[in-house]
Amino acid sequence: MNAGPNRVGQSGLTYFGRTTASISHELKNALAIIKENAGLLDDYLLMADKGMPLDAARFRTVTGRIADQITRADGIIKNLNRFAHSVDEPIKAIDLNETAGLLDVLSQREAAMRQVTLQVCPAGAATPVTTAPYLLLTLLGRCLSLCLQHMGSGKTLTVKVTKGPDGGRIEFEGLDAAALAAAGDFPGENESALLNAVGAECHLDGTHGCMSITLSNR
Amino acid sequence: MTEKILLVDDEKDFLTVMSERMTARGMQVTTADSAEAALQEVEGGSYDAIVLDLKMPGMDGLETLKAIKARNPTLQVILLTGHATLEKGIEAMKLGAMDFVEKPADLNLLTEKIRSAQARKMVLVAKQTEQKLKNILTTKGW
Repeated sequence: MNAGPNRVGQSGLTYFGRTTASISHELKNALAIIKENAGLLDDYLLMADKGMPLDAARFRTVTGRIADQITRADGIIKNLNRFAHSVDEPIKAIDLNETAGLLDVLSQREAAMRQVTLQVCPAGAATPVTTAPYLLLTLLGRCLSLCLQHMGSGKTLTVKVTKGPDGGRIEFEGLDAAALAAAGDFPGENESALLNAVGAECHLDGTHGCMSITLSNR
Repeated sequence: MTEKILLVDDEKDFLTVMSERMTARGMQVTTADSAEAALQEVEGGSYDAIVLDLKMPGMDGLETLKAIKARNPTLQVILLTGHATLEKGIEAMKLGAMDFVEKPADLNLLTEKIRSAQARKMVLVAKQTEQKLKNILTTKGW
């Protein structure tokens, strides 16, 4: 049985798997810290049972840490929820600023692992485009991964949104000539299929060190 | 005997609380929040066990494990991971890890493994010393 490669579908699944694995790892870290701090409170109580006085200030420090990690975990779940809802409608009018924002929070861990600072510069105004939201996220995720892979540590990758007369552009800035050269023949077959699915074009600019994805409402 | 531990994880909040809990259990704990910091500690000191996070920015846990074992093969490394798979476990053991624990780790279980690590290291160091003595006796020809 050979239905031919479903590049768009497979790319989407790969991005889904990679993103949820990263989110689950972050949640595990937050839960581990909560667990150990709860265990530390138990340790203090055991010591109190043996006659050592309870230190209220230390108790408050630990409960504060637990509260911080719960806030962190809640933020991670909210991001997961936004990500999950990106598949609600196959084609939808979206704001590229919001998409870039979601890409940012979903990619922070990947950037940290590569020791690259990731920052987003939204456009000054809402930048609406009609496209396939989840597939656009998948495409941008691939672009971002490629940039992170070839940039080298200690650098800053800027994701900049620019509003156009009839659509908008997302640029990945901070790439040097070597990084762009290492990108090879990007976009490849999978990326080209995604570009077609979301109605976008991709340009690599060696002079300004950036990769851009342009979407038009025409 | 007090266990000397090096705890390595990029999550500083995790290092803080684990260090406090392990110290309260009588262990002597040093922390490092990166692979590079861990390797500096390994150069400068001796540890009964190194508890090492598998996924860290820059040099990851397995690369760090290789670098640690290259510097001192007697060091016992316990890997911490968010997702323990048999495949990863086998790879880690092949690279010389003593054991492999999934986060969030049970501290009592981790403490047991640390004590095993200390015992194993003492045996290895004793063997090394015995071999050195044999070499001296053989080469000096008294």
